[in-house]
Amino acid sequence: MRLLKLEMKRILKTRLTIILLASALALTFIMAWLPVTFSYNSFIDTNGKTVKLTGLASIEYEKDLQADTAGMVTPEKVRQAAEDYQACLTKYGVEESWDLPEGVFQAEILPYYPLLHGIKEAFADPNTGVAPSIMEIDTEEIDKYYDVCEDRIVSLMKMEQKKYPAAQSRAVSMYNEVKKPYLFFPGYNTDAMDYQILLAFLIVLFCTVIAAPVFTSDYQTGADDILRCTKYGKERFAVTKIVSALLICGISYSICAVTYLILSNSFFGWECTKSSIQMLYSVVNLSDMNIGQLQCFIAVSGLLCILATISFTLYLSSKFKNMVVSLSMALLFCLLPIIIYMVLPDWIGMWIYNILPAGAVGLQASILYAIVDFNFWNIGAIAIWIPHVMIGAYIIEIPLFAFLTICSYSRHKVS
Amino acid sequence: MELFIEHISKQFKDLKAVDDISLQITPGVWGLLGANGAGKTTLMRMIAGIMKPDSGRILYDGIPINEMKESYRDVFGYLPQEFGFYPEFTVKDYLEYVSVLKGLTPKDSKRKIDELLDQLTLTHVRNKKIVRLSGGMKRRVGIAQALLNEPEILILDEPTSGLDPGERVRFRNQLSEFAHNRIVLISTHIVSDVEYIATQNAVIKDGKLLAKGTTEELVRMVEGNVWTTQIMMEHLQEYERKLQIVNIRNENDGKISIRYLARQPYTDDSLPASPHLEDLYLWLFPQETTERRE
Repeated sequence: MRLLKLEMKRILKTRLTIILLASALALTFIMAWLPVTFSYNSFIDTNGKTVKLTGLASIEYEKDLQADTAGMVTPEKVRQAAEDYQACLTKYGVEESWDLPEGVFQAEILPYYPLLHGIKEAFADPNTGVAPSIMEIDTEEIDKYYDVCEDRIVSLMKMEQKKYPAAQSRAVSMYNEVKKPYLFFPGYNTDAMDYQILLAFLIVLFCTVIAAPVFTSDYQTGADDILRCTKYGKERFAVTKIVSALLICGISYSICAVTYLILSNSFFGWECTKSSIQMLYSVVNLSDMNIGQLQCFIAVSGLLCILATISFTLYLSSKFKNMVVSLSMALLFCLLPIIIYMVLPDWIGMWIYNILPAGAVGLQASILYAIVDFNFWNIGAIAIWIPHVMIGAYIIEIPLFAFLTICSYSRHKVS
Repeated sequence: MELFIEHISKQFKDLKAVDDISLQITPGVWGLLGANGAGKTTLMRMIAGIMKPDSGRILYDGIPINEMKESYRDVFGYLPQEFGFYPEFTVKDYLEYVSVLKGLTPKDSKRKIDELLDQLTLTHVRNKKIVRLSGGMKRRVGIAQALLNEPEILILDEPTSGLDPGERVRFRNQLSEFAHNRIVLISTHIVSDVEYIATQNAVIKDGKLLAKGTTEELVRMVEGNVWTTQIMMEHLQEYERKLQIVNIRNENDGKISIRYLARQPYTDDSLPASPHLEDLYLWLFPQETTERRE
């Protein structure tokens, strides 16, 4: 315990660590604020002038405007919204909302527009997947909105997982467990979710820079020659170094993630966390979570991902004797999920980047996109939902790489 | 108490750094003499257990050290040639860190650190970052960490490099005192560091053990090969080309007195001189004489 305290104190006293952790905290504030600035609304005031709103003012305006949409998304509310939409477009003689005269969308459609989220997707052609326009939807069918959604997941999975009936049935059973009717509270912006991932990605990079020299720097400076000759200088020392790096990175990330969520939800309104994720992503999304639960799920996945990445980075650190090599390799592995996502074909790439330590925060390859997508790992008759694969991989990787690090450090010999 | 080095060898690519060395090390101060690149550091690293020999083994009281693991490291103290430390640590922080790794209790750790800081005159810099200390002070911090656990086996690789003459003498005396009932192995190419305190010496060259014995025994190897004579200053260069001169002293009347190594006297007026350990060292490592002159 004394050694752990001293090792943590040592790492926390290094200038690089102080700078990186301070930067991570500063970035947390910036990242939480940025999605707020993306909110934009405009309306024509009583004098006929266009008023443009951004930031918190825009969010507040949207909340007030869409106050009636808040709460349960019943089929009746969705039908009413669709009927109002159709009536509005008919009144102006247009087929699509963007053809409406200036200011009409904001004044007449925006107040109930969130309720129309996913309606086109729900009524997509079961064979082609082509979505109709809202004008083409028979509003009477919306009375069975959630039955339509259940049919939609069946047809969607037949297209997405054509060769894998196990994945199809797993997806259907997952969707059947989703609580309906959905809930919705206006004001939230999915950019905030993307920025939560981006923040986690940056913290992973920072923590990698902190962890990469843990063993390598000792090898390079020769400090290791003395330390490994001491009574507890091998396995116990390696364990202490691993635990301290994991604690520092884990706690730092947790502080940033919690701060981010507190700030972000305070800006957008805590009631938004109760919205079903189906009201912001796919209307037939498989996970039974609201925005708040999704935020927590991503935060916890991010923590596991960071711990797995650090565990792997420490392994690299225990292997390489040159700090530049160790750091370059560790950073390369942080970026690898993104690179693989971009360059390797579908399933091969997916198999690899899903299990890489930094996968969960890999931007487009991240766990957020795994949750909002419909992919499964198909192994024979078994279909595992990708987010579960990722979480499982991290749970295995954290102790596995920690163990390999201990072995590698203990067996290290000077050359 | 005995450390037995049994036929150990170590090869680096095409260089045989240690070549079948066997040595029985008993309590007392041992001087390990050899020129740069002779294999001293490699040998010490193998004794420290941080480098694996290609062949042979090292036993402590009959037990191979790689089997003793923690119990060997518990009685071991080591100062490598390059003293690596954490730049963010103060002297006190560093010694506390090492003392925990050496398994000292908080109370013992505090007592021992205070004692060593005092002995090595580091008390006034205890709260200074090591990185800001002079070379000599850094070296003393290195020595302090090696002594923290009062080791039975103390291995010091070039411990006096960077120390001033006063510190060197103080250190030698402390070491003599400390070596009672312990094995202290000092690797050095500064002969005077071990000449007066080493109970035994081992000389290695090109990875091989050339000789071992007490200073007196070793010195006898060059008996009859050390000479002194006086020459004119202007002839010095000529003598330097032809002889292995180990010392030059200015005399009066443009003359200088030289001390040289040779099997036969070079001039008729050369007088035999009583040999020192340094003469043996330079006899065995003639390139060192050239380096010194350069």
